[in-house]
Amino acid sequence: MSEAVSAVVHADRTARAFALTSALWFALATSFGMIAAGYLIAPDFLANVEYIHFGRVRPMHVNAVLFGFVTPGLLAAAFYYVPRLLRAPLFSESLGVFSALFWNVSLAAGLVGVSLGYSQGREYAELPWGADLLIIASFGLVIVNLLLTIRRRNEPILYVSIWYAAAAVVLTACTYALGNVVWKPDTGALKGIPDAILLWFYGHNVFGLLLSPLALGVAYYVLPIATRSPLYSHTLSLLGFWSLIVVYTHIGTHHLLQTPVPTWLKTISIVDSVAMVIPVMVFLINIWYTVKGKLGEIHADIGAKFVFTGTIYYFFVNLQGSMMALPDVQRITHYNNWVVGHAHIGVLGFAGVTALGGLYFILPRITGRPLFSRYLADLQYWLVLIGITGFAVVLTVVGLIQGQAWYNGETLYRTLPEIQPYYVLRLSLGLLILAGAWVGLYNVVRSLYFPPRGGVPCA
Amino acid sequence: MRMTPSVILGGVLALLAAIVATVVYFPAVQQDGSPSEIYRERTAEEEAGRRIYLQNGCVYCHSQAIRAFDWDMGSERIAQAGDYIADEPIQLGSQRTGPDLSQAGGEHPDDWHIAHFVNPRYTRPSSIMPPFAWLGPERIRLLTRYVQSLGLRQADRRMERQNFWKAESVRAYEAGVEANVRWLAEQVPRGWREIPNPYPTSAASLQRGQRIYQYFCIGCHGPIGDGMGPAQPWIYPPPLNFTVLKGREISGGILYYQIMNGITGTAMPYFKRDLESQKIWEVGDYVARYFINQSDANEEPRGIDASWEP
Repeated sequence: MSEAVSAVVHADRTARAFALTSALWFALATSFGMIAAGYLIAPDFLANVEYIHFGRVRPMHVNAVLFGFVTPGLLAAAFYYVPRLLRAPLFSESLGVFSALFWNVSLAAGLVGVSLGYSQGREYAELPWGADLLIIASFGLVIVNLLLTIRRRNEPILYVSIWYAAAAVVLTACTYALGNVVWKPDTGALKGIPDAILLWFYGHNVFGLLLSPLALGVAYYVLPIATRSPLYSHTLSLLGFWSLIVVYTHIGTHHLLQTPVPTWLKTISIVDSVAMVIPVMVFLINIWYTVKGKLGEIHADIGAKFVFTGTIYYFFVNLQGSMMALPDVQRITHYNNWVVGHAHIGVLGFAGVTALGGLYFILPRITGRPLFSRYLADLQYWLVLIGITGFAVVLTVVGLIQGQAWYNGETLYRTLPEIQPYYVLRLSLGLLILAGAWVGLYNVVRSLYFPPRGGVPCA
Repeated sequence: MRMTPSVILGGVLALLAAIVATVVYFPAVQQDGSPSEIYRERTAEEEAGRRIYLQNGCVYCHSQAIRAFDWDMGSERIAQAGDYIADEPIQLGSQRTGPDLSQAGGEHPDDWHIAHFVNPRYTRPSSIMPPFAWLGPERIRLLTRYVQSLGLRQADRRMERQNFWKAESVRAYEAGVEANVRWLAEQVPRGWREIPNPYPTSAASLQRGQRIYQYFCIGCHGPIGDGMGPAQPWIYPPPLNFTVLKGREISGGILYYQIMNGITGTAMPYFKRDLESQKIWEVGDYVARYFINQSDANEEPRGIDASWEP
């Protein structure tokens, strides 16, 4: 490494902007979720407040989590590790900060649109057409910055995290435009069954081609550094990366197994859903062998602790997902809260927890001083962990109750009084997650913008 | 394998293109797109109602696709691709917090839906749907038009039946209590009319009957059975007042049949999907004992007493 290269100074303004974005939207998104959970146990709660009515606040929750909390959180880490892994400054910090601002404005515009009743009515693709264009442009700004940084790199070898970050944003810019049918501004949809097939291709790939690769990129970066261990296997990284891109992209139709879509397409989605164990286990073998025997180091770094916990959730969510794609299992699990539990395990337990880990890993390194409070970060860890684990248990149990009852011929209406206590439990556990999100926002803001007076950081 | 930027980007984009062609584009161009036998176009009002359905996220709780192993509302029609050819976007849904609506059209008359939208618990006391009174009368009317079109031609047949019996039931109601009660009884097949409730009344059976009444009946018939539940202002003919039925030959069989089968045209739904036999007999006896104050439970002819009877 030459002197000039080692002297690269990273301003990290982009990473800071995305970190703040993520912490802010985590707090807002969980608040939306709490309102929705409130409706489920007390439907006359906020009864006639149109703008946060259940059918509007639910998509606001989902979109704010996906595009406000998790994606920007993982991008914050990417904007930190990409320049370092390439031994080059980010192409443009100004462009980066602008892209974060633009990202926030785009998402806020979309959510306000949904709140005002301009939803396009397609799950995961609700945002109105104008907001769709803004979001695609936001991805475009991020892509330009990352790719031009890669182009101006001083390190010839691209580490696996770079592959994932680049693939995630480029592929998602494409699938977002495709999935939201941006060439049809008035409806944002195709007609009939092909619309359902496209929708779930896109919807599943928000997880498969955006959150998962970005999160894996963070795990591949954070865990080897935190444990001071070389990556276990380059070959497994390669296998994991390419198999993820190939397999994940095929499985969206497993959301439609019980609807009239072509049987061959269902078969592809089932086979590939089971085959998801390949990319997942390849990644987990690779990363878990990397950190083998180093749990002490992981425990010492709150960021690494979150990220490692995310890998455990990745294991569970994918085992569960492969199983749920089997038609016999799905007869019980489909259409009920089992799937809601699965989605929370994946998006919060794996991708969201990994994003939080990324934030806490990079914050002290960006600011050059410890976190405002390691105690609050640990508190958030336990609040989120207990919350999401409880969610997984409660929603799985209630899903089984619903699914078995329906399959045995009980009407849905008859099951409503039975499941009510579980909705109460779910809201209670959601309170932990909500508290964790707001505690996290406070901690991130204090860590970023309020250096301790007298130089003694809070414990 | 050397992972250069062009290998990564070229590779993933080529894969994406190939996979989109296989699992998205090919199924779209390959589908025949022909309408199913129940298909028809929606009217302008039904389309306007559908916009309201989309904008307010009804799809998050209501699917529109019946499966081969479903039992609940609409389960006479397993979903076919040709049912959806005009749906842009399609609203198959991913969760059932409420019932599937793909065949909801004509299951209830319009007045039931309007009361249900104003506050779902008026007609379905255990419902957890949020109220939609804020939509206002015009949007509720349009949304009702859309819901009544779900099922298309099959919904149209059900709506014809609703409208025919609505006129009949209004005529009977307006002819006065005596004529109305006689008309209601006459719609029950003779065999059912002559059957007394075959099971004895017990403290336990009345408690179970009361629970069923509170989960299913109280919204329209009210806590004291006088037909003045919270749904009453929206419903015509209004919910039946049980307290005037004493001495008017209301057998256990009539109560059972009307609860099981409903009275199409009125807001009285059928409960045969929700309730099994014992629950219907017991809620009927609860109504007879508490509100009519006259029950034929366990009277002759009752056949051989069942083995569980005390």
